[in-house]
Amino acid sequence: MPELTYLKAISDGLREEMRADESVFCLGEDIGAFGGAFKVTDGFIEEFGEDRVWDTPLAENAIIGTAVGAAVEGLRPVCEMQFADFISCGFDQLVNVAAKLHYRQGLSVPMTVRLPSGGGFSGGPFHSQNPEAWFLQAPGLKVVAPSTAEDAKGLIAAAIRDPNPVLFMEHKHLYRRAKGEVPEGRYETPLGEARLAREGEDLTVITYGAMVLTALEATEDLDGASVEVLDLRSLCPYDRDAVLASVRKTSKVVLVQEATRSCGVAAEIAALIAEEAFEDLDGPVVRVTTPDVPIPFSPPLERAVLPQVDDVKEACRELLAY
Amino acid sequence: MLLMRATEERALSLYRQGKVPGSFYDGRGQEATAVGPAFALGPRDRACILHRDLGAHFIRGVTPGRVLAQMMGRAGGVTGGKDANMHFADQRLGCVQMVSMLPDMALVACGLAIAFQMRREPRVAHTWFGDGATANGQWHEAMNVAGVRQLPVVFVLENNQWAYSTPNEREFAVDPMERAAGYGFPGVTVDGNDVEAVFEASAEACERARSGGGPTLIEAETMRMHGHGAHDDMSYVPKRMFEEWEARDPIRRYEERLREDGVDVEEIRTSVKQELDRETEWALAQPPPEPTAATEGVFGEADPELGDGEAPWSRWEGEDA
Amino acid sequence: MSSSPTSDGLMEVTMPQMGVSVAEGTIVEWKKQPGDSVESDEPIAQISTDKVETEVPAPAAGLLKEVLVEVGETVDVGTVLATIETGAAGDGQAPADEKPAEEAHADEPAADVEAEAQAPAPQRTRAQATDGERPAPHGDGDGRRPERGDGGAPPVTPVVRRMAEQHDLDLSRIEGSGRRGRVTKRDVVAYLREHEGEAAEPEREKALHMESPYREEAPAVAPEEAPAAAAAEAPEKAAPQPQPAAAAEKAAQAAPISGGRELSVMRKRIAEHMVRSLRTAAHCTTIVEADMSRIEAARGRRSYLPFVARATIAALREHPSLNATLEGEVLTVHEEVNLGIAVSLGEEGLIVPVIHNAHELSHEGLATRIKDLAERARGKRLQPDEVSGGTFTITNPGAFGAVLATPIINQPQVAILDLETVVKRPVVVTDADGHDSIAIRPMTYFCMSWDHRALDGVLAAQFLSTLKRQVEGWQG
Repeated sequence: MPELTYLKAISDGLREEMRADESVFCLGEDIGAFGGAFKVTDGFIEEFGEDRVWDTPLAENAIIGTAVGAAVEGLRPVCEMQFADFISCGFDQLVNVAAKLHYRQGLSVPMTVRLPSGGGFSGGPFHSQNPEAWFLQAPGLKVVAPSTAEDAKGLIAAAIRDPNPVLFMEHKHLYRRAKGEVPEGRYETPLGEARLAREGEDLTVITYGAMVLTALEATEDLDGASVEVLDLRSLCPYDRDAVLASVRKTSKVVLVQEATRSCGVAAEIAALIAEEAFEDLDGPVVRVTTPDVPIPFSPPLERAVLPQVDDVKEACRELLAY
Repeated sequence: MLLMRATEERALSLYRQGKVPGSFYDGRGQEATAVGPAFALGPRDRACILHRDLGAHFIRGVTPGRVLAQMMGRAGGVTGGKDANMHFADQRLGCVQMVSMLPDMALVACGLAIAFQMRREPRVAHTWFGDGATANGQWHEAMNVAGVRQLPVVFVLENNQWAYSTPNEREFAVDPMERAAGYGFPGVTVDGNDVEAVFEASAEACERARSGGGPTLIEAETMRMHGHGAHDDMSYVPKRMFEEWEARDPIRRYEERLREDGVDVEEIRTSVKQELDRETEWALAQPPPEPTAATEGVFGEADPELGDGEAPWSRWEGEDA
Repeated sequence: MSSSPTSDGLMEVTMPQMGVSVAEGTIVEWKKQPGDSVESDEPIAQISTDKVETEVPAPAAGLLKEVLVEVGETVDVGTVLATIETGAAGDGQAPADEKPAEEAHADEPAADVEAEAQAPAPQRTRAQATDGERPAPHGDGDGRRPERGDGGAPPVTPVVRRMAEQHDLDLSRIEGSGRRGRVTKRDVVAYLREHEGEAAEPEREKALHMESPYREEAPAVAPEEAPAAAAAEAPEKAAPQPQPAAAAEKAAQAAPISGGRELSVMRKRIAEHMVRSLRTAAHCTTIVEADMSRIEAARGRRSYLPFVARATIAALREHPSLNATLEGEVLTVHEEVNLGIAVSLGEEGLIVPVIHNAHELSHEGLATRIKDLAERARGKRLQPDEVSGGTFTITNPGAFGAVLATPIINQPQVAILDLETVVKRPVVVTDADGHDSIAIRPMTYFCMSWDHRALDGVLAAQFLSTLKRQVEGWQG
């Protein structure tokens, strides 16, 4: 099996789907001639032609809105937002048209929106966000966030095949940092299913995206404790059963998210645990998150707000000792 | 047009009886701008129909009974109670349902057009919007995308003089029809209360789109004779304006023309009334939706299926790519 | 930023980050050798990354001391490539702090400029020393979490409390290794493991309720003497405990005997209950056939169990003597209908949670309760009083295709109703004028076992006839 970077895996998955199904096409800013700001679609316009790799005007609502129209007519558009942050410019079409159409009319919208998200390299407030929580509040949208190269390929394929609008959170800081063996050919990673990144007995860290790497590093050698790390992979729908099973097993939970604190995925899962696994808990449910601030640019400031390995270590240590 | 007006009158009456929850919107006075363009569509064309264009739904094949049931929020209505008043569409007839944010559907229509363009099909995507919507950023994005790609889309701008209580002069500095040139495609103005004129302009625009000539903006000048919704008494409109436009009522004008051609207009009126009475009875008998339906249908299990509409004029029936 | 000062005038040159997502780089060429003097900003190496090839400039003037990475080697961003002795050449001052991050990473394509910011190579050991105050762990941004508690007794967490109840433990006897001496889950687990074999603290399951399969034996009675003891037992409701977890744990630990496997504890309990029931009651089974058309029309995609449950309750109102319990020779007819619904726990066995005051619920309400109880039964989260006090039981093995069954009564009730598969059959229907024709209808058999000590066949048949009438005339 070849070893690919996370970025190449996404490219690979997208290419396989475009080869297999003519109705799949890409649209976004600078994805054609330039190959995409992060080069995910490098070489695509040469292989698939201008029709299927569309360099759009600078208009996010147009990207999302036209994708909806194309999708209901039987195509499978894969939109790219140049940075996840710019989804705010296409917010209306996404939450009011794409998300609600099936509920209201029974017409499904098989589209995918790729969102290069996350910080850690001085991108500043408009190039570093993790906005997934906005969309957990818009029923009708699915959201996935792979952390490994293998899942990146499998989930982009699954997102494309799903008949609903799926937001694909691709973490920029994983593009080249995450590498792994990626099966050749086409395959799908199921939506709504988490992955046990490491099994453990004493405490569970539940997380997703780039924080999976942080969590694994932080808990690899933590005073001899056996720490389980659960990679959610899917944020909506998310794997409730896996979460509850892990809580039942270890009784101690640390939730780690790179997104800002309030009302994020961690808050949702903490509430689920409180409601449904109260009697399995041997300590409070703890969150390690970025505080509620825009992401600053200067490296010492950015490092001070994004969860670091030491922050996760400390939270785990405290809970283990509780 | 008669059916549209009659249905809307019936619906308004039901609304006043408390049978229609929420708000009520109609297109009284705009029947020609609804019917003319829809009539020019072929069965495989697609439409995003707006809230004052009920006649377009009838042309595609939706029955008045389902419309009334829809407004009353019954299970047999087009959306089964999921959405309100004119926020409905039947995908089996090739229509995509409007949202409240205007003019979002203009972009969706562009998306439909992109599909036709990519597949090299002689099909047209069609939508309506009002004068107010042209102030919105998404209108600009839609016009721009349509022009840049020369999409097979027809935009009908129903300039009914008022966006709720806001008149044209507060809405834009330049007549939208002139702005079309700025986006790279033709704009035409027609008398929106002359159904044949609207139809001719639409048919020409569809022809242009089908043959790869790109989009058209048709500005149909008309007047909204009722309030923005049933809750609006239109006190901000000068009385004189009502009188002027009443004299140009689209239905009366067309009836005159039909009579000149020897058509029995009274017979048509009678059959419309009978149909409406039957349909109303059916609609009133429809049960309310099951409460369990409230949490159903958030996600789809299968790919979408947009069917073909009835397209009575059907100039393009049978023609394919 | 690709350098930093050491404490002794030695400057480190590190692999820069050439772009937002770049994680490593390769040395293409060393332009200077150890011993060479270098000027500030003079290129000393050529590197290549996924995105660009570029030069690495010297961060300060001095002498190139050591080269640590060979040509052709690929290293992570931030790795030290070389060291420069500063101040030795006399023409530069080694800066004491990190330089601001701008620099010669100028090869980015123009369009990337907006997209990418230049990040200094993270210098973990040094940089953190020069970072400003970092806010405390990424909690609520206010710093440390406030001290919990007021110094009183340490809390008993939910899981510890549950386990203590389950195993009848005195927490004060367990050493706590948690904060403030708290007894943790690990402590309890360790304690249980240690005291597994002790006779002084037997880990029997407690009785659930009278009708439970998980019946407690009288203390110090060996299993072989169980039948006699069971007959003599008084209903034990004093200390009912949640059972399935303990039972399951024990089931998992059941020791295999050579030549076969002994039944798990849970199965043994079920076995005892069943045998005892057959021995106690005078079992008869009466069967009635019913047309489920109306219910089929009403239920949509929902299960038909709640509908039949509702009809059963209505029938029990008309024939209250079926809603009764018989203990010894005392027959108690009950006002309220506490409806037991058998729930399968798969291979482990089954359990019968009870919907108390089921007569107050509509079929929708029953559906909700059934779903909730079944979920919690399978998740082993039932409360003790949810498996006791039943007055009538319905068992519905589901649509596995069986059409008839002869269920065993759930003691001490007097009857149990079994619902099997609904099958489409041709049946004879008579119209208003008395003409017969054949129609296809969804039919099912209601199989009720009942205790001939408490009632007779006529009563049983009448009840079932009423149930049939309720089902066939369903109005919902």
